[in-house]
Amino acid sequence: MRSDHRARSGLGSLLVAGLVSCTLAACGGDDAGAEGDGDRPVLTISAIPDQDPAELTAREEALADYLGGTLDVEVEYVPVTDYAASVTLFGSGDLDLVFYGGLTGVQARLQTPGATVLAQRDIDAEFHSVFIANADAGIEPIADVDGLDSLAGTRFTFGSESSTSGRMMPAYFLDQAGVDPAGDFAGEPGFSGSHDKTIDLVQAGSYEAGVLNTQVWDDRLAAGTVDQKKVVEIFRTPSYHDYHWIAGPSTDDRFGAGFTEELRAALIALDGSTDEERTVLEGYGAAAVVPTEPENYDQVEEIARQLGLVS
Amino acid sequence: MTDLAGITSLEGSGPRAAPPQRAAPGRGRRPRPGRRPTGRTWAVLWLVVLVWSVLGLLPEGEVVNPGGWSFFADFWAHAARPELSADFLADTLDATLTTVAFGVLGTLASVVIGLVLAPVMSQTWWAPATGSPVARALRGAGLLLTRVTVALPRGVHEAVWGLLLIGVLGRDPLVGVLAIAIPFGAITAKVYSELLDEADHAPYEMLRRSGAGRVSAAAYGLLPGLVPAATSYAFYRFECSLRSAVILGMIGAGGLGLQLSLAFAGLQYGQMWTSIYALIVLGAVIDRWGAWLRRGANPRRWGISGVLGLVLAVAAVGHLRPDPAAWFSADTVDRLGRLVDDLVPPALPAGGLPELVSRSVETLQMSVLAISIAATLGVVVALVAARGATSPARRVAAWAARQLLLVTRAVPPPVWALLVLFVVFPGPLPGAIALGIYTFGILGRLFAEAVEELDPRPRQALTQLGAPGTASFAYASLPAALGQLVSFTLYRWEVTARETVVVGVVGAGGLGRLLEEQRAGFDYPAMAGTVLALIAVCLLVDLLSLAVRSSLR
Repeated sequence: MRSDHRARSGLGSLLVAGLVSCTLAACGGDDAGAEGDGDRPVLTISAIPDQDPAELTAREEALADYLGGTLDVEVEYVPVTDYAASVTLFGSGDLDLVFYGGLTGVQARLQTPGATVLAQRDIDAEFHSVFIANADAGIEPIADVDGLDSLAGTRFTFGSESSTSGRMMPAYFLDQAGVDPAGDFAGEPGFSGSHDKTIDLVQAGSYEAGVLNTQVWDDRLAAGTVDQKKVVEIFRTPSYHDYHWIAGPSTDDRFGAGFTEELRAALIALDGSTDEERTVLEGYGAAAVVPTEPENYDQVEEIARQLGLVS
Repeated sequence: MTDLAGITSLEGSGPRAAPPQRAAPGRGRRPRPGRRPTGRTWAVLWLVVLVWSVLGLLPEGEVVNPGGWSFFADFWAHAARPELSADFLADTLDATLTTVAFGVLGTLASVVIGLVLAPVMSQTWWAPATGSPVARALRGAGLLLTRVTVALPRGVHEAVWGLLLIGVLGRDPLVGVLAIAIPFGAITAKVYSELLDEADHAPYEMLRRSGAGRVSAAAYGLLPGLVPAATSYAFYRFECSLRSAVILGMIGAGGLGLQLSLAFAGLQYGQMWTSIYALIVLGAVIDRWGAWLRRGANPRRWGISGVLGLVLAVAAVGHLRPDPAAWFSADTVDRLGRLVDDLVPPALPAGGLPELVSRSVETLQMSVLAISIAATLGVVVALVAARGATSPARRVAAWAARQLLLVTRAVPPPVWALLVLFVVFPGPLPGAIALGIYTFGILGRLFAEAVEELDPRPRQALTQLGAPGTASFAYASLPAALGQLVSFTLYRWEVTARETVVVGVVGAGGLGRLLEEQRAGFDYPAMAGTVLALIAVCLLVDLLSLAVRSSLR
């Protein structure tokens, strides 16, 4: 990808000179960069930062090991701390395979012509968000989408701005119930930045209610790190398509024709038939990886367009 | 040597900045022209604006959330239990090196940019003011144009530069360096050009008269005399660059900021504290280094520091391993073109002009409250923190106050914002408070240094006459320091206005909130519009502080 042009400016050659003198002096630096040793390309994988980074790293590194072994390539996991930055880096060709949410997946494909939708988890075809409330706020459990209008006038927080389950789909359901997220809450809605922070801020009472993805909520309940006397579940949304894997357009060029299809096959082969596969799937909270189609995200794209999240 | 008072006036806008406002004991008050607002007028005006800001930022209903104290306390309780596993410590060391590398290379690049651009921005370059009126007008326009061009990049916060550059350079370690170098290079160029204009021009004129070109005349006639002040400013920029490197890390550039932000997202307080302690140590080392340089104004110390700086720069290149070739690849050029296409022409946000104006007002209010909190707390704590106390009890108190300032500025604004958000109900108010606390750490230290450099004699005289310590301080030292304290505060006010964008993250309002929202939707034209509004707010703040400073002089 990166051609070795001669530096064309004075500043460029100055830096090159610095680099050379440094190499001669054999100073610092650890592992090799993304270009790998010699000419072998490195497959860079990433994911949107939607949960505890430690768990995210463990999960993605397990996938990296699995893909490395299955496809006989060097695989590197690149942590990215910001949803929008992840989409931008995919567009600039720095990330080859990313596990995106519904919205970020649509954004990434719109900004990166030639990107391919590869696969999704078994749970992603029917994904849900969960609305939670502070126990002292006096918000009753809600029966259906229309009941979300009882959240008008509360202090409310979403997760990250670019989150499908923590922001976009909840905003859509709120809109269906006649609640305008921009104007109908008490003050502006918050954007906590992560599903975990949403739980803690609602539990602390900073916000009376909030919304996040059911997977993180259920995990935290199971782990016992939620004080259920202080924060309660009030509503689970109808289902929608969410997370999926997308491969960049230059993957075949760099790894050989047909590589994107091999990647898809390797992902879909994940069905828990070996211990290694079970470890990978456990990290993703899924039983299997299944095929998916770009059309599955048409609804997501339409809603994103309505909410001004893609243009 | 690090004449911060001089810096604050040099960094301000306006054609000619003030002469450095050293507290000169015994200098009589100059008579003021009758029409100019006095200090008292400004103070009353400020109070009115502050009340307006607080009223504008108050949430409807309650302000303090008692339910969040346990979370707030939990974070501080973890200060005693940082994560200390060998692996994590090794990661922290590596992250610290990365942050230092960004700071060092960012500073170096800023200085290079500053040196290249400074002559072009100076009045010296555009002089002589002779020749035809047309030629003079052209020269005047040239000076104005270069100044305005260079004012734009520094109006954009480093974090915004970082986010834009990621789109062009991708995952390149130099994103962090450039994000610092572009705005800081612009401000360095401005300061260096002021230094050029204020320097003794006799040798330069002599060389010019004897037929030397402008470049060689400047190189031999002007530069040698400017080296000390320019080096001193470079060191000050280094401190600023390190703080920016942390913020840039938080948006993904790497280093301690990244580590902190990863721990932050997972609410891993123990890991957060390890990073914060690393930042504290880093801050303490830089403080000591700076203090050592200032004491005695010893040229040898500057020489040693210069060599050390170069060694650090080489090590930084080795650590980051930048790939300058990638900057000039066809891809990069292509992406840069697309980004410019996306940004131009700028557009209004979803709510149109009223939305942009109300957000700008909110940003202004946040900056007013934040700088007021910072200055008030800063004065109180700086008085305790200043070195030179005599009794052991006062020394312990001074040490404790300095540690407080160190911790306060080691915790980056977004982290303060979440902490405050637990105990103050959401909205722009917690954002402003968070920024106020962080700025307090920076301002308190500047104040303490100003107090340390005061002439002790008036105070001693009062004490010997039998006045209690506090009274002699209030009557003898405070008036002398006041000019500098006001000057620092005004200077930092503009920086704070720009920094409101980094607390936008936690639901704090202002232009930062708008920018986050537009970024999530990749609405580049509207982002450009918001950035221009932020530049306008900073310009307004800058002009106001210039007016205050020149009328108080």
